[in-house]
Amino acid sequence: MNELIKIIMLCGLFVASAHAENAATPAGKAPAKSPAQMIDKDSECTRCHDENDKTPILTIYQTAHGNKADTRTPSCQSCHGESLKHLSSKSNAPDVIFGSKKGAYSPNAVNDQNTACLTCHEKDPKRTHWQGGAHQAANLACTSCHVAHTPHDKVREKPTQAQVCYTCHQDQKAQANKFSHHPIPEGKIACSDCHNPHGSAGPKLLVKNTVTETCYTCHAEKRGPFLWEHQPATEDCTICHTPHGSNITPLLKSRPPFMCDECHDGPHASKNPVAGNAAGAQGGITGNPSSSYTGRACMNCHSMVHGSNDPAGALLQR
Amino acid sequence: MKTRNEEKHVSFLGLAVRCALMAVATLPLDAYADDDAAALKQPTNSIEAGTLYSSQNSARFGQYNGLNDSGFYGLGGFDVRGGDGYDSSKDSALRWKLGGSNLGTTSRALDGSVSDQGNWKINLGYDELQHNITNSYQTPLQGGGGNNLTLPTNFGSTINTKTGLNSTQLGDFHTEQEYVNRKNGSVSTSYTFSPSLSAQIDYNHLDQSGGKLIGTGSQGGITIPGKTTGKAEGNNIIMNPTSYQTDNVNAALNWRGDKGHLTGGYYGSMFHDDYNSLSWQSPVTSAASPCTGTNCYTNNTMSTAPSNTLHQANLTGGYNFTSATKLAGGFSYGYNSQNSAYAPTNIQQVNLQPGGTLYSNMMQAGGLPASSLNGVVETKHGDLKLTNQSIKDLTLSAGLKYNERVNLTSSNTYNYVNIGSSGVGTNGYYTGINTPYSNSKTQYEAAAAYRLTKAQNVNLAYEHESVKRWCDTVVGGAQCVSSPSSEEDKIALTYRLKMIDDVNFNAGYTFSDRRADTAAFLANAGNYASTTAISSSALNAGNFLGFVAYPYASRVENMTKAGFTWQATQKLDVGVNGRYAYDNYDATLGVQNGRSTGVNVDANYNYAENSSVSAYWNWQNGLRNLSSGATGNGTAAYTPSQITTPMNIWTNQLQDNSNTVGLLTRRDGLFNNKLELIGDLSYALDTTGYLTQTPYSPTCGSGASLTCGSLSPISNEIISLKLTGNYKVHKNGKLSLTYMYQKLNSNDYYYNGQQFGTTPTALIPTGLQPQSYAVNVVALSYNHSF
Repeated sequence: MNELIKIIMLCGLFVASAHAENAATPAGKAPAKSPAQMIDKDSECTRCHDENDKTPILTIYQTAHGNKADTRTPSCQSCHGESLKHLSSKSNAPDVIFGSKKGAYSPNAVNDQNTACLTCHEKDPKRTHWQGGAHQAANLACTSCHVAHTPHDKVREKPTQAQVCYTCHQDQKAQANKFSHHPIPEGKIACSDCHNPHGSAGPKLLVKNTVTETCYTCHAEKRGPFLWEHQPATEDCTICHTPHGSNITPLLKSRPPFMCDECHDGPHASKNPVAGNAAGAQGGITGNPSSSYTGRACMNCHSMVHGSNDPAGALLQR
Repeated sequence: MKTRNEEKHVSFLGLAVRCALMAVATLPLDAYADDDAAALKQPTNSIEAGTLYSSQNSARFGQYNGLNDSGFYGLGGFDVRGGDGYDSSKDSALRWKLGGSNLGTTSRALDGSVSDQGNWKINLGYDELQHNITNSYQTPLQGGGGNNLTLPTNFGSTINTKTGLNSTQLGDFHTEQEYVNRKNGSVSTSYTFSPSLSAQIDYNHLDQSGGKLIGTGSQGGITIPGKTTGKAEGNNIIMNPTSYQTDNVNAALNWRGDKGHLTGGYYGSMFHDDYNSLSWQSPVTSAASPCTGTNCYTNNTMSTAPSNTLHQANLTGGYNFTSATKLAGGFSYGYNSQNSAYAPTNIQQVNLQPGGTLYSNMMQAGGLPASSLNGVVETKHGDLKLTNQSIKDLTLSAGLKYNERVNLTSSNTYNYVNIGSSGVGTNGYYTGINTPYSNSKTQYEAAAAYRLTKAQNVNLAYEHESVKRWCDTVVGGAQCVSSPSSEEDKIALTYRLKMIDDVNFNAGYTFSDRRADTAAFLANAGNYASTTAISSSALNAGNFLGFVAYPYASRVENMTKAGFTWQATQKLDVGVNGRYAYDNYDATLGVQNGRSTGVNVDANYNYAENSSVSAYWNWQNGLRNLSSGATGNGTAAYTPSQITTPMNIWTNQLQDNSNTVGLLTRRDGLFNNKLELIGDLSYALDTTGYLTQTPYSPTCGSGASLTCGSLSPISNEIISLKLTGNYKVHKNGKLSLTYMYQKLNSNDYYYNGQQFGTTPTALIPTGLQPQSYAVNVVALSYNHSF
């Protein structure tokens, strides 16, 4: 708790000093231009970059970046720079070339590309933690994921978003198609339902501050608090579950009783070695199979592993 | 480089002259191009209708896609957009959108939005998802979907579920489909008061219905006719009803100034379960009984997920001291409460054995301190990160994070009849003391990213993590947590090199060292009953000396990764990357070590415009080694001083292996640019195996025990082929024909012990089948764009 107080005090100090530094800086407003005027401004570029361009430049008018009646809407040159040399001769590159692959011109450094986007987007609450975040540190450009000129930016649409993320996160692509998985391949969950790729205060760029908080956004029934808590369930769901996919349902890292044995060695069945006897008669055991090892094993009885609210459920059986 | 985001000021006269000149110069071309250019600026609407045929019933194939039954499905979808905001001749930013997908299945979704961009926006959404779990589950219990499951009156009792079920009982088994249907409705609105102030409110209502399977153990010691008692821990896999409603609210007020921005928000999550308990009847007895009729059954009750609420206040923001020095951070406070009524605790005894022990209530005298928990958990979070780029090519950052979960719930003593009660004297009593867990995590981090040259970057990061765990008030003052604290240091180094123009290489290494306080480790601390020895209260608390659970053990972790991408030509890309991690735990018993390895190879060849072939291979391998101790003596430990040294050490190894290969191809421009073909072929094989060694037992491999050796691997092999042809029947119409074949070969010993005739003697069979399938799907649809 002391750490929290220190943080609050430190932040208060920063905010106060910042306020003093910027007390009187009212931004002067330029008269808003009409949509037609804005379009005309773009015509410096679109007289060449027209409907015949290999990449459909004009489709940007279908996006939020092309809604010219919104006074915040950028012009071509807001993002690509004034590009005066390019305007005089197409052999010269525009000031800002986005992307990572070499085409007719070489792309600008990632930092320069991102500056063009962050000029407007840095102060969006979802990008508060971009600086120093995992993707910024990995030198990713905004255009590594986003395509600004298309009305259907894959990464912003739930059914196609994962395809973009999988470009780099290939292990997760394989895991998402395993026997037990979240409905990501089916397009019902997007990576951004759990992760904020623009940076977050949580681990692994999670949208919430902790793993458990993130999981509870959909699995609120696991939140409790329960009368009888299971300590790892209160700390981190990933102690037992692997969220991107598993060979063992439901998204388990291992199968009971082996998974339970990793933490328990009580006098009840968790102290006993288990092998083929977990496979019952079909596995070759000649005696009666044990309900402690077969099927759900420990969870045949101790099924309330996320916590029990039964006054007679201390052993997570009820 | 100069990026400008301000309006360019041009005089009206200059603008008019320039416009006129441009108009004159381009008029002839525009006459031809106007339609195409306008089409690109206007949204393309589409509507899709068709039909799909699926060849097989399969809950696994239809787990999330809504195609769980064989037969025909309707295909429907649409995407319609409009508004004056698409017309540059109008001074309006109004745009709207309506969309729908998968309308003919239980995976349907609908959404709509209308916005005056820059001023306000309203979104509406509806999303449905049926999570199909199984269609092979069998049970004699009736009342699925509710919270009171009863046996048919003719079922009678049984002493042996493996071989003792008679024909009447077998005839009472019926198949129940298990699924959970999630229906999600959402509304979100945002309003911009000024360029520096905006607000947003999101509301989401999730309705879940259906059921999932859950394991249960029946109550022992209850007398039933025929001079016997109900079997303790008779197992029944039953239908746990899902009848949930969750309401989530997100509200935020955003302020942005020249140098800083701040968001104050509220997050509320209200979860409601229609049930607070689940009751079921068990027919399993501890001795043979001639009993017939409903009096033969024991009635059992367990809790369900309790209704609960979370209210959280959040504050996040950032401040740019200069363009090179930035601060970002946030705080939050959450209040999570739960006061759902406890499950009924009366055992509904129906026929008493004269002279026998009667447990008319599961709770013993004075053993139920309250009728509900009145549980409260407070969560607190704070984070700050300062970044600086004052020195050219060098980015520095330093941060602090703090998370705390404080469980303020009271600790009390609950005396009840244990599930394994024999029903004689006090042997079946259990004294439980709830231990409300609290924990905190403090992290300090510092990082530096330096651009060595135009082609080389290096990142160095250090993090320290301090974890504390405790219980504020536990009756008797007993230790409640497994490990009270740990300290961890982590250092990570990443190097990136652009070797030549088209080749990028990266490599990284991470080392972490966690030092945990495990001096008084109790694996079952949560069940720690009392500081005073009560024999039956020590159940499940017999820890062996040197055993530490892996999440709480001291650990050293080494992790390396490397990869490269090569743009061989304008048309060909190749990428290869791999990773290796090794964990070593400082524990005499428990998890000893683990490793994981992964390799990815992919290549993409764009052999023509909009035509490509790509291939990928992914291999992942994991291993975990565990040591534990078998019975040394029968003494249970309920204080650290009573922990004993195990006599027999056994080991277990988990082996995970996964291989995935895939080939995707797309060919456009066929038949005079009318036909597009898309192919997607993939193969995946995942295996999970366990190897147990018990060197102290020479007979461990005999059929009578089978406690050593390899367990038949859990294996899932999936082959998938999807072929799609899109044919333009006219300018705005496209006919799509899709064929998909998917086959799953699933081998899993999990199901063995649930089959009729091969169950443990006190486990009611479910007949659950491995979920292999081979499904053919054909879909035909017409997509009209306008």
